[in-house]
Amino acid sequence: MTAEHSELKISRLINAPPSKVWTAWTVREHFQKWWIPAPIECRVIKLDVRPGGGFETHMREGAGDFQPHVEGCFLDVVPEQRLVFTTVLAEGWRPTEPWLALTAIMTFTPEGQGTRYAARVLHKNAADSKKHDDMGFQDGWGTAIDQLSAVVARLP
Amino acid sequence: MENYLPALDLAFHALSDPTRRAVLNRLMRGPAPVKELAAPFEMGLPSFMKHLRVLEDSGLIRSEKAGRVRTCRVETKQLAAAESWLSEQRTLWEARTDRLADYVENQMR
Repeated sequence: MTAEHSELKISRLINAPPSKVWTAWTVREHFQKWWIPAPIECRVIKLDVRPGGGFETHMREGAGDFQPHVEGCFLDVVPEQRLVFTTVLAEGWRPTEPWLALTAIMTFTPEGQGTRYAARVLHKNAADSKKHDDMGFQDGWGTAIDQLSAVVARLP
Repeated sequence: MENYLPALDLAFHALSDPTRRAVLNRLMRGPAPVKELAAPFEMGLPSFMKHLRVLEDSGLIRSEKAGRVRTCRVETKQLAAAESWLSEQRTLWEARTDRLADYVENQMR
């Protein structure tokens, strides 16, 4: 039961071959374009796609400095098939204290003319939690994500 | 960009047991005294009380004693918070995956 309440499974049939989806995931110039929703900007600091390789992105909303976004480490890389990263370890498998502990397992499987892309996102069995005084932050963030999703859905 | 809520650790631990989930389901239909909650289960009262304590520590339920009767009721806000955190993570990953698909299919050269 803990798995159901701490694991997400996402799946899409993408109308492109696995090699193309893999490239979108593993090449900086492509990755920066979809990882974070516009108008928020994404900058890739590290996208070292090999076991132990660093994975780090920054984000910027409007003017101002880029802020840390995701920091983690690739655990398993099977080109055009499987990609696994975790935020619990940093580059070189060095333990770190993440903002949110997660491991994401992406698989790329040929299906018909396209790719069955699946992501399993694992959290701690008891969901990660930290003290946060302001419940308002949570509500605001949820709304922001909904709004962003709606904007993305309208993009051509 | 990731978000989190206080005490989710305890809430998810509380939900990780079938007895506790059954108790929570019963309480979502309305408050109930401990004896009534314990009745369907083949365990001694002390064991059952341990489950209630986990649920109470997690903030998912609270109980009050009136005379010799302890009555439990669900705290819906905490349950909603635990569910909404995971559903927000889902929203984030679904949107991200939508963007990947759209990028690969429509924008990428």
